[in-house]
Amino acid sequence: MHILLLEPNTVLADTYRQLFIKTGHTVAHSTSAQAAINAADERRPDVVVLELQLPQHSGIEFLHEFRSYPEWQRLPVVVHTFVTPPKLAIAREALARDLHVHTILYKPQTSLQDLLCAVGQAVETT
Amino acid sequence: MQAGNGGSAIELHDLLLSVAEQLKVPLTVIARQAELGQLDQATSLDVTHVHTQATAALQLVDSYLLGLELVKSQTQLELEPVSIASTLADTAHHLEQFARQYGIELELHIAGKYEPVMAHGRGLRAALLSLGFALSEMVGAAEASRRRVITLAVHRTRQGIVTGMYSGQASGLTAANWRRARSLAGRANQPFAVANSGAGAGFFVADAILRSMQTALRVGRLSRQSGLAASFRPSQQLQFV
Repeated sequence: MHILLLEPNTVLADTYRQLFIKTGHTVAHSTSAQAAINAADERRPDVVVLELQLPQHSGIEFLHEFRSYPEWQRLPVVVHTFVTPPKLAIAREALARDLHVHTILYKPQTSLQDLLCAVGQAVETT
Repeated sequence: MQAGNGGSAIELHDLLLSVAEQLKVPLTVIARQAELGQLDQATSLDVTHVHTQATAALQLVDSYLLGLELVKSQTQLELEPVSIASTLADTAHHLEQFARQYGIELELHIAGKYEPVMAHGRGLRAALLSLGFALSEMVGAAEASRRRVITLAVHRTRQGIVTGMYSGQASGLTAANWRRARSLAGRANQPFAVANSGAGAGFFVADAILRSMQTALRVGRLSRQSGLAASFRPSQQLQFV
């Protein structure tokens, strides 16, 4: 499967990229929302792994833009973020209802195995 | 941390929250790299990543603690003549590997000779290193279409001798954004949202340390690059020598 990884920290992104490549996937990495839109257009990902805390435009802004394109309205998105679950509690319902994001992972406590499982499940259930 | 230089210093509680938030990044890198090594025995652990991130995390904690110490002892804080050029060169040396991890080249811009400045030597080193780590993370998130460079510079102005770090990929560093970021430090996940994805604690720790020396980080420009810098009084005593 082809994964679009939107991760502003390039050192962390390298780690996740290694994981995905080792498990047989291909990865396009972007550090900003605008670059990710461009990358999605060029690379046609099967799933997006998204950090919400991005420079300039936030992950939520990215999602609004991304979902405005008909071909990406149902593409699975896994939110994988440093934002703590309590801080995301209010946004969780809106993310699911309006932006079709059903998987939200807290990055510091998500193992690589859990991330792989979540990405696989997100693709299977879509 | 309530240092002098006006009432706008960042509160201790907020600075601590900012540092805690910031530490999640290197600790996550270390944890995930270790896990990657365990998952696949054929993959050797990237020791350089782990070492560099652990060093940055330790440095942030040490700088924070030093800032606390300096603020507490502020009444008797003794400033001494410090060579700013050699401190900056030393900072570049210590920052190099971390910056390289983020695809950043460091350039040292020390034109001319500079007399020593009145500063707290250990504090100045810690502040510059904290600033460098924070700016590297910020510049590292810039899209890689252009060469990523941070310039560590010293120059002279009417206010004294100014030292700071600048980058062409830090255009979000404006005076208004810096003011807003300082007011949000520790209270928002992304106080510098326009330019930075993280907590940016290194900026605020550096600022707190510098404030204990009666100076502060201010936004500056150097040859179309934006950055943060602090000015220092030259050491009058040594000028006569």
